[in-house]
Amino acid sequence: MTNLLVIKEQIIKFYARFEIYITPVLKFLVMLASLIAINANIGYMSRLKNPAIVLIIALLCSFLPINVGIILAAFVIVLHMYALSMPAAAVVGLVFLILFVLYFRFTPKEAIAVLLMPLCFALKIPYLVPLAIGFVGGPLSCISVACGTIAYYIIHNVKASSEQMTGAEGVDKALSSFKLVIDMLLKNKTMILFAVTFCITAVVVYLIRRLKVNYSWYIALGFGSVINIMILLIGSMTMDADVSVIGVIFGTIISAGLVFVLQFFIHNLDYSRTEYVQFEDDDYYYYVKAIPKITMEAPQNKVRRINPQQPAGKRREYYTDE
Amino acid sequence: MLNNEKIRLMTRMASFDEVEGKRDIAVNGYFRGDYICFQVVMSAIYGTIAFAVVVALYLLYNLESFLADFYKMDLMAFAKDWLTRYFIVLLIYLVISYFVYAFRFSRSKRRIRAYQQQLKQLHQIYEEENERRR
Repeated sequence: MTNLLVIKEQIIKFYARFEIYITPVLKFLVMLASLIAINANIGYMSRLKNPAIVLIIALLCSFLPINVGIILAAFVIVLHMYALSMPAAAVVGLVFLILFVLYFRFTPKEAIAVLLMPLCFALKIPYLVPLAIGFVGGPLSCISVACGTIAYYIIHNVKASSEQMTGAEGVDKALSSFKLVIDMLLKNKTMILFAVTFCITAVVVYLIRRLKVNYSWYIALGFGSVINIMILLIGSMTMDADVSVIGVIFGTIISAGLVFVLQFFIHNLDYSRTEYVQFEDDDYYYYVKAIPKITMEAPQNKVRRINPQQPAGKRREYYTDE
Repeated sequence: MLNNEKIRLMTRMASFDEVEGKRDIAVNGYFRGDYICFQVVMSAIYGTIAFAVVVALYLLYNLESFLADFYKMDLMAFAKDWLTRYFIVLLIYLVISYFVYAFRFSRSKRRIRAYQQQLKQLHQIYEEENERRR
């Protein structure tokens, strides 16, 4: 356990020291993965699939706030839709508008959940995001989880029914493909089930981990996972949604395991980052770089030296690990 | 001479100033009622936009039947129906935003209070320094 704590401290130390480089790199990687996933699934506009453009957008996002990244990703999706059919782009654009209005009003800080949700869906472990966001976010974080779920299903469904939408010519065809996209969204019971379940899971995890009882984090994780599985299974039976039972159970177990590891690194982590601040008083200008203190130091190597041939008169010394 | 204690305090305050401080100080400029009222009005505007988009999508979805029945249907009843829905949705949305912003106001008030405490400490340090100079 001590070793793990030491690793944790070293990671924090490393992150605190190189945070200024690590954060943009992480943002770049998340954005790159998101764009590649979007292009692989609904890459109808060939110009946007150009690796140079993907790289430029991802690089741009590494320096901009992550919310700009989300808007750009949404924009890319709408452009791909436009290449497929104009009505599809209109519907998707309007749905994104509703999501943004809801989301930016309340939880503008948890943008990363919106991007990670579709990626985790692609990796078959979407349960990771609601469980993790319950630990790091607040009760309103469920909005961003729901937005991410809806974004994933928009992409997923358009990909599934793209053939019916191509070559939309004339008002009738446009209207019918418009209807198709809306039907896809409103009558998609699986999407509604997942969005509701993830919201409930995130709120349940948040509420339990805030309880002032011992092991509240473990209870929250266990209870959240069970609730997640239960609602999905009961929901899939009653709502006739397309949910794979084995996928749900194993996916939740794997996600819970990952969150368990994550939890170790974020639990009690009052992480203060390296700050660069400037101020002045009557006598000086101050340019301060404040580096957070790390509480736990890596232990020194244990050296126990027993040397019987010491000169007489000198006290024999034992070096122990303390 | 550099005063380490003062630098520490000022650093902490400056880092607060840079991140949460800006927002908190803006929030602190309002009375509680005014702040929540303003935010609820903003929520009402956003909610109205979202609802208008939903209505537009609904009308486009049902465009054919809507155009066919346009002269037969009771437009007043139709409008009344949608207005009722609008007010119910908006009410729920506004109640939620009231609670969210009431909570945010009290939280930023708490942070500002701590900041003011630090300001007082800094003031004390300045006075001590001035006395020493004299």
